[in-house]
Amino acid sequence: MAKLQLSRRSIVAATLAAPAILGGRARAAGTIQMISHRYPALEYYAEKMRNAVPGTTVNTQLMPIDKALELATIAMSSKSDTPDIVYASDTSFQTFVKNGWFRPLDDLWAKYRDEFKLDDFPEAVRKTYMRDGHIYVVPHTLNAMMFFYRKDLFDAAGKAPPKSFTQYAALAKSFNSPQRSGNVSCLKPVDAAINEAHWYFNALGDGWFDKDWKPIFNHAKGVQAIEMMKEIARSAQQGFSAAANDECMIAYQQDTGVMGLQWASRAKAMDDPNKSRIVGKIDWVAPPQGHARISGDGYAISAFSKQDPDTLFRIIATSASQANMRGAASLLIPPRKSLLEDAELKQANRFYPAALASYESGVAAPSLPEFYAVGEFITRRILQAVTGEMPVKQALDTAANETTEFLKGHGYYK
Amino acid sequence: MFSAPEGSFWLFLAPSAVVLGAVMLYPLGYAIYLSLFNYDLGSGSRDFIGLGNYAALLIDARFWDTLNRTVAIVLAAVGLEFCLGLLVAYGLYRLTFGVRTLNLLLFLPSIVTPVVAALFLRWIFVGRWGLLSASLIGLGVFPPDFLGNPGWARVTVVLADSWQFTPFMILVLYAGLNTVDQSQIEAAQIDGAGVWMLLFRIMLPAIRPLIVFVLAIRLMDAFRFFDTIYVLTSGGPGTATETITLYTYALAFRLLQIGKASALGVLTLLFVAMLVALMIRVVYRRERGAF
Repeated sequence: MAKLQLSRRSIVAATLAAPAILGGRARAAGTIQMISHRYPALEYYAEKMRNAVPGTTVNTQLMPIDKALELATIAMSSKSDTPDIVYASDTSFQTFVKNGWFRPLDDLWAKYRDEFKLDDFPEAVRKTYMRDGHIYVVPHTLNAMMFFYRKDLFDAAGKAPPKSFTQYAALAKSFNSPQRSGNVSCLKPVDAAINEAHWYFNALGDGWFDKDWKPIFNHAKGVQAIEMMKEIARSAQQGFSAAANDECMIAYQQDTGVMGLQWASRAKAMDDPNKSRIVGKIDWVAPPQGHARISGDGYAISAFSKQDPDTLFRIIATSASQANMRGAASLLIPPRKSLLEDAELKQANRFYPAALASYESGVAAPSLPEFYAVGEFITRRILQAVTGEMPVKQALDTAANETTEFLKGHGYYK
Repeated sequence: MFSAPEGSFWLFLAPSAVVLGAVMLYPLGYAIYLSLFNYDLGSGSRDFIGLGNYAALLIDARFWDTLNRTVAIVLAAVGLEFCLGLLVAYGLYRLTFGVRTLNLLLFLPSIVTPVVAALFLRWIFVGRWGLLSASLIGLGVFPPDFLGNPGWARVTVVLADSWQFTPFMILVLYAGLNTVDQSQIEAAQIDGAGVWMLLFRIMLPAIRPLIVFVLAIRLMDAFRFFDTIYVLTSGGPGTATETITLYTYALAFRLLQIGKASALGVLTLLFVAMLVALMIRVVYRRERGAF
């Protein structure tokens, strides 16, 4: 038998080589990595994922949406196998699927249809996450932007929630004071600003694009819409141009804002006595003139993941099971037929009527895979208009030209 | 040919050269290579377009806006840091006790990780419930919107950078002031030079190489100003604080235009190199080769 000879050099070489040799195998059987946007409902689902499949470790990384999308983009564009489970909204999934970064779930969906009662997801919701006939995302939430307002202050002033933007502007101005802003706006690029601009463009204008994806947001009605946004922003809280949903939620909770547009998924936090000074004082209605953004979130499997797809699907589907979704129902609108029609849930969550009304009057974001990319310069130009750095018409025309150039470079308008 | 001892000295440099090549020259070369392509990270398409990305950037209004804004922010920040740093360093130089303790305390902002420092600063400057705004409101003063108003946002990022990097200026300039020949200082004092004359006529000319060095280092560093602005304002409101590095980041990771982003990185490198070369040339126009 040959004698095993160990020299210092061979030990060093083996030590250096070990992680490279073992790394792949350890990674395949090891921790499952999940990247997600963060808000209370998604924190709840992340917790459920961590405990979904016994014997697996799921590392959930939750962060604000822009960071989550950037991190996922950086990782998946380099074909990294690091994220296994990736957060997807109705908008971001279009980009990721177009780039080939998500694994189609059709086979797994069919395999686990009965076990996880997947037909309980309404067809309209399933279609939201389909592209070219394939499904890519397991839905976890339905979300709608509602109109939040301080009912106690409105009652004291003998006012009713606004029915139009003109009333909204007048009310915001009348309630505005150094201690409490009349309006709460979230215009941080890209996601938050897109949400708010979406409402103005759709309620007061003709939307973002025509049927050929040519920009129409800079047409006369769009300019008027952003003029109105600028007017209402005069009563907004300090830092509104750098505020995302977290900052706006805190503005309400800390009693420094009176009214504004915000996601239904933030409603429950208003009544959390550990975080809010305004428990029971906020009420909700559908946004004036409707047309605010509706959305949904879910989770997909990275096309580059080296983990077992069945395990990943089981983790995602378990977190979205009927029982878990019932537990999350106070934090969101659950996208399961059995729960949407549940009278007990409707009664237990006082924001449900407004959320459902907002959903019915809402409009989804354009199904353009490049929407977030073009949103990068559209929202910056809108902010230049709102903060007075550029006239509104000039800002929107500039944004429209930049959008056209970008989309032309991506094969549109041929 | 090298003599044997000189040849062995080159061997000592080899490890550093290998590391530099791997972590600096290779990425730089790769960035230059990518800048010649229309490379879209999303679709994965990569078409050779020569200098097309450079030409597109040079007629891109946003590029010139961000370049002008970057120059303005960098000059304001580095200028403020130098003036404050020089004053504090001179004050420390003239102090007779407690210098070490003060030096240590003053250096604290520089040892905090920039992102962590930026998060501290965000909670100081954020509107309404931030430390500064809340304090001013407590005193009955309605504060400006430090991060939401375009003008104030620019001032805030300059102050943030100055808070973090003035200690570096203090440290270097203080060390430099201590190297000035005492006999020159004593001679000037005998001739009746006051405190300020001593500083501007004797000490500053004596440490001119050091000043050029520290300004060059800070200028190069400040041009890469990213993390603080990213955390504080993300380049906003609008594009009010968008610097050239933030635009590069947006091109690469939001618009996924890697070729154009690489071209912008190369242009930034060339611009900073020219700026520093110009600065050295101006300061040493009468003493070529002194630096």
